[in-house]
Amino acid sequence: MIEIRNLTYEYEPGKPVLKNISFTVEDGERVGLIGANGAGKSTLMKLMLGLLESTDAVFADGVPVKKDTLPEIRRKLGFVLQNSDHQMFMPTVAQDIAFGLLNYGMGQTEADRKTDEVLNQLHVSYLKDKYNHRISGGEKRMAAIAAVLAMEPSALLMDEPTSALDPENRRRIIQLICSLPQTCIITSHDLDMILDTCSRVILLDQGGIIKDGPAETILRDRELLEAHHMELPLSLSRR
Amino acid sequence: MHMADALLSPPVAATMAAASGAAAVYSISKVRKENQSEKIPVMAVSAALVFAGQMINYTIPGTGSSGHLCGGMLLSALLGPEAGFLSMIIVLAVQCLFFADGGLMALGANIWNMAFYGCFIGTYLIWLPIMKSSLFSGMGEKAGTRAKIILASVLGCVLTLQLGAFSVVLETTASGIGELPFGAFAGLMLPIHLAIGLVEGMITAAVLCFVYETRPELIRGIRKETGSSKFSLKQVLACLGALALVTGGLFSLFASSHPDGLEWALFGNSDAGYASNMALDEENFGTQSSAADTAASIQESTSFLPDYAFKNSDSAAGTTVSGLVGCGIVAAAAIGVSAAGNFFRRKTS
Amino acid sequence: MNRAEKALHALKQMDELTEMDSPVHRLSALSKLLVTLLFILITVSFHKYDLTGVFMMALYPYVLFQLSGISFRLCIYRMRYAIPLVAMIGIFNPFFDRDPLLQIAGISISGGMISFLTLLLKGMLCLCASFLLVSTAKIDDLCAALRRMHVPSLLVTVFMLTYRYISVLTEEVALMTDAYHLRAPGQKGIAFHAWGSFLGQLLLRTMDRAQELYAAMLLRGYNGEFPDLQKNENRTASWIWLITWAVIFLALRWLNIPDLIGRMFMR
Repeated sequence: MIEIRNLTYEYEPGKPVLKNISFTVEDGERVGLIGANGAGKSTLMKLMLGLLESTDAVFADGVPVKKDTLPEIRRKLGFVLQNSDHQMFMPTVAQDIAFGLLNYGMGQTEADRKTDEVLNQLHVSYLKDKYNHRISGGEKRMAAIAAVLAMEPSALLMDEPTSALDPENRRRIIQLICSLPQTCIITSHDLDMILDTCSRVILLDQGGIIKDGPAETILRDRELLEAHHMELPLSLSRR
Repeated sequence: MHMADALLSPPVAATMAAASGAAAVYSISKVRKENQSEKIPVMAVSAALVFAGQMINYTIPGTGSSGHLCGGMLLSALLGPEAGFLSMIIVLAVQCLFFADGGLMALGANIWNMAFYGCFIGTYLIWLPIMKSSLFSGMGEKAGTRAKIILASVLGCVLTLQLGAFSVVLETTASGIGELPFGAFAGLMLPIHLAIGLVEGMITAAVLCFVYETRPELIRGIRKETGSSKFSLKQVLACLGALALVTGGLFSLFASSHPDGLEWALFGNSDAGYASNMALDEENFGTQSSAADTAASIQESTSFLPDYAFKNSDSAAGTTVSGLVGCGIVAAAAIGVSAAGNFFRRKTS
Repeated sequence: MNRAEKALHALKQMDELTEMDSPVHRLSALSKLLVTLLFILITVSFHKYDLTGVFMMALYPYVLFQLSGISFRLCIYRMRYAIPLVAMIGIFNPFFDRDPLLQIAGISISGGMISFLTLLLKGMLCLCASFLLVSTAKIDDLCAALRRMHVPSLLVTVFMLTYRYISVLTEEVALMTDAYHLRAPGQKGIAFHAWGSFLGQLLLRTMDRAQELYAAMLLRGYNGEFPDLQKNENRTASWIWLITWAVIFLALRWLNIPDLIGRMFMR
């Protein structure tokens, strides 16, 4: 369960980028976080992960996000970056997956076993000993998700998981997200993907929550979306 | 300016590796002391940036040729001299391993010639003194700082490249590889690198000015309160000391590998016949001057594979007619073996 | 292809070579690195007139090219910039050192000629050896070998990360170069007025990239130290490899084998 209470954040004094945000995400829920560029989605993600500091505003399973709880929080929350190149910094896929496991004190053999397991789960075992700089964009995204899943987080935060993917890889990622038992919070401009994966949508604009409700309702509301610089998902718009 | 392995003798390579190694150990302890773990990714991507940046061709106005970026000054202005030096080591290692620029054994010399001067001498003797000075203060803060950046970059690149080029000459001559007299070699290398330094300095200045205008907080030494990069006499003296020590070491190696010593080097080789019986001359030379005697003994102790190992055998010069015949036979055998190998490989596949 | 694309292509080729399989590829990177260093050290230690001695050192690259299946042609192609630089320094030897050293069929060969050829051969052999090392050892194996040689972990980590991001940034430079030239036809390089902003823009993005990379590391429990890369390798074979070559190199260095063979046939 992720809980956010009255979260306000400003990079410069007097110019808040997030204003009084509160919401709760239940276990197993999949939530889409949507909003135009600059609405505050990335800042919100960073605050949840403790990459930006907040006080007593974000809680994961009841644990507040602050400096001394960071290792615990980051074990609970897995983050899939938009740019997989930034996430996969070790030479090979297997080493990258093992990186987090070894840092959390797992032994090498155990980490190897876990790596094989998670690659199998995603049907990408062939990637194991590949160089990270030599695999395709879709493979990189799969490997990045594998590296996060290997840590067995209770919730996943994903930043644009389907950006720059071909239709087949995009479909594969959507199916994967739908099959995950974990809580998922997804930010994206790909509203069709949000519609396919999420049951609930939170619409942000100018640092505040505009609407929080079922995906089907919000993503069908043409007036609401257009008022906040968005458009209906393609699958719902009449030609 | 990358030196290949073949241009260095083992003692010179070892001396330079020791000098660069010492600078690296110092830098690592300094970076570790700062205990900023976020420095590691910054150092890595900056090294990658310098590598990629050197793939850009800059057109030099008024000429048809192109110039490239000078990494040392840029990296130390962004990361500080110590972290910049370590990043430059990595750039040079990648160039040597994956692009045949330089060599594994020559890495120490290349690090010294290109990274040490650019980072340490460039920062402590040029960059920080100029940036902290009150030069151009009449031009207003922004324009003044820009002028200082340009002056420091150009001066820094020119000076560090000259030092580097001079070291290349010194190291090659000390290794006894080329017969080109020291003076002529230096006369060739230094003017070429003066021009290169000017262009590299201009490019580096342009990049740093752009960064200053967009994100000034990225550049070190601009604000007066940056504590860690405080200009101090101690560091200047340490730099000069290291410079003097290594140059002195090279000169002594150099003196010992040339029978007539420095005089020969600086004023040309009047007696071309010396080379054929170098081993003999070396002994005569030892009795001539006591300073050179110590130098020779330094070389003797540092060279674990002395190049006069055949001193007492009649094949001291190495190449003999029978040796050449032997090589011919070996080469023929090798060609035969690989031809047979190819033949059988084709048969079995 | 622009320069950056060429560099990317070269890196890709090297990666592909390391992905091949051969007895040499299977040896530990540490033993290969040590043999390579020893080879270079011994090769450059030969006397400047000892052409035949240096020639015999070609045995090592010869055997390695045969065993590993690495293309000799590609290796020679890679040396196309490095060898002329070596030649430029050695080319003066024949002019300054005219003493005859050898008489073959009435033609005398000067010491400078021999030392020039020796220098070229040394340069080529050393480059061959380095090329064979990086085309048979993967980058992570090399990093593990460096750690086992007690190279400080800070340097090894930066080396590993740099190698990872070189292809990312070089690709970006390649794209930027293309984009520039599409809007500046007829220009050979970046014009003076764009000198600062061209690389400067990339530099700013790179610094942001470093921040994001650091965040990704923190999120997976990074605390200042990278875990050591562990390798399963055949240690016995690697030791045998190292010792065998060490013995061969020392024999080639201190026994004048070509002279012995030549005398056998000339008598």
